[in-house]
Amino acid sequence: MSKTGYPEEILQSLEDYNIDIRDFMPGHGKGAKLLLNFNKISGIEQVEGVILQGKEIPNGIIADVIIKEGTVHEEPIHLCFGVNKETGIQEIFPRIIAEDNTDVKIQAHCSFPNADGLIHKMFGHFYIGNNCNFEYSETHYHGEKSGALVAPVAYMYIGENSVFENNFNLTKGTPGKVKILIDIYAMKNSVIKSNIRAFGKSRRDSIRIKDSVFLEGEKARSIIKMKAAARDGGEVLMFGVTEGNAPYCNGHVECSEIVLGKGSICRARPFIRATDPTCSVSHEASLGRFPQKWLDEIQAKGLTEAEATDILIEAMLNED
Amino acid sequence: MLLELKNVTIPTFDQKCVIVNNISFGVKENSIHAVIGPNGSGKSTLAYTIMGLELYKIKEGNIIFDGKDITNLSITERAKLGITLTWQEPARIEGLSVFKYITLGIKDKTILKERVDESLKIVNLEPEKYMNRKIDETLSGGERKRIELAAAIAMRPRLIILDEPDSGLDMIVVEDFLNIFNRIKALDMTILLITHREDIGMVADYGTLLWRGDALLTDEFPKVMLKYCAKAGLKEFCKRTLYKNGGVCFDNDYIDKIFREENMS
Repeated sequence: MSKTGYPEEILQSLEDYNIDIRDFMPGHGKGAKLLLNFNKISGIEQVEGVILQGKEIPNGIIADVIIKEGTVHEEPIHLCFGVNKETGIQEIFPRIIAEDNTDVKIQAHCSFPNADGLIHKMFGHFYIGNNCNFEYSETHYHGEKSGALVAPVAYMYIGENSVFENNFNLTKGTPGKVKILIDIYAMKNSVIKSNIRAFGKSRRDSIRIKDSVFLEGEKARSIIKMKAAARDGGEVLMFGVTEGNAPYCNGHVECSEIVLGKGSICRARPFIRATDPTCSVSHEASLGRFPQKWLDEIQAKGLTEAEATDILIEAMLNED
Repeated sequence: MLLELKNVTIPTFDQKCVIVNNISFGVKENSIHAVIGPNGSGKSTLAYTIMGLELYKIKEGNIIFDGKDITNLSITERAKLGITLTWQEPARIEGLSVFKYITLGIKDKTILKERVDESLKIVNLEPEKYMNRKIDETLSGGERKRIELAAAIAMRPRLIILDEPDSGLDMIVVEDFLNIFNRIKALDMTILLITHREDIGMVADYGTLLWRGDALLTDEFPKVMLKYCAKAGLKEFCKRTLYKNGGVCFDNDYIDKIFREENMS
């Protein structure tokens, strides 16, 4: 336990993602915070222009994050949904509203360091107003036993002239069973960047991620980048969808996955659809192993093939 | 000798033809030794084989490094003994920072920062500007090559094999690279320089002429260069270049004699 009463074990995994855990601690840093310890709210800190509210329900919480019109904050809003028990059910219902002309970041962390039969579900709604700059980054850590079942669903509405960046990272620890659905609706002149990264490391790891962008407004633009690796029997399916449904919108989906070790499976399904003759959508996908030359280049510095592969996976999952 | 090649024959991947044919030569410790020859003479194949790349296996012969037979060692084992290689076109591994990339081969993890600083300075890059950059398309070809070289220097290997370090660089940059090679040598490292350009080779103490897979001559570099020019029939170029670079003084009669030997007068 930390001095604040929040189990540090839950936050510890953030360090592997190069995030300073102190930023999440109540009483530290300038950003707003909401911390959930299993199904109990451990702390809420608000800052000017940001309303954070949580209501406990039998298996989790309903959390409201409202960013008032015109609010600009350099410091991210920190949300931590942690469980340090092995089993149980945690259900989160976040409702995130960014009013017009706001510029904020949310750093969310879902950490289940001891998961062994734990279920985490999320059903989130995001409403981002007009002329906003909004970044949502979510990192996950599901322990080392492949013992979590994680199923988040998020619907995101992005208003006119807004820039929205979504980052999802599940690259540390063993994921367990993961099924993620993200639907992003992009209005006129909005820009969407969605980066998904995941790493399945054993036969007990199965990751399925569907990330969809619907370009509904004129000149809306999007890019989805999905990167994954599967090793030692792990399984990853990346399903990247872009639909161009408005004049002059432009979208691209990119899936790249690396398969390592016998029994591992990577699948990529970029799906594009256009219903307006002036829009442009494209995709590319690649599956396979790293080029031998890259391995040689790193091994010539004295690393083994396995070490070189780890470096390359880390690099791939860190790419912008 | 730090490195010795004894009767080395390297076949093509399908083993049906020979790329390098029964060659032998040695590389002296703390020297710059250039392997020079036209395109397609087997220089890069030789470099990859010495490094021990997976696909480059020798058919006959032995590679001796510091008295030890390394013919059957893997690339990693050879690197751990103190051999490394810089590529003609190094990869852009985009998710790695320059700092992380350069530290990959540094054994002593307590000196990472100072070693990276020092290595970047040797290749004339400002550490504070480059340390946190990603190895991506924002780096020019020349910058990428310098970073590759810095990573090799940071390892403090005993032998650096430089495969065509000049390719894709303009003349001013090439001049700078020649100074860098001398700085590397001053750090007690040995350089095996693979090149097809005489101006790059002029920095070398010794050389080996590789011609259609055969090692025709190993000697002081100017003599090797003269032989190369004679084989290629470049008498005027040879006279001009060998006088211009490094103050090497072969008289015209000697040059004519060498060319006659090659029936190139």
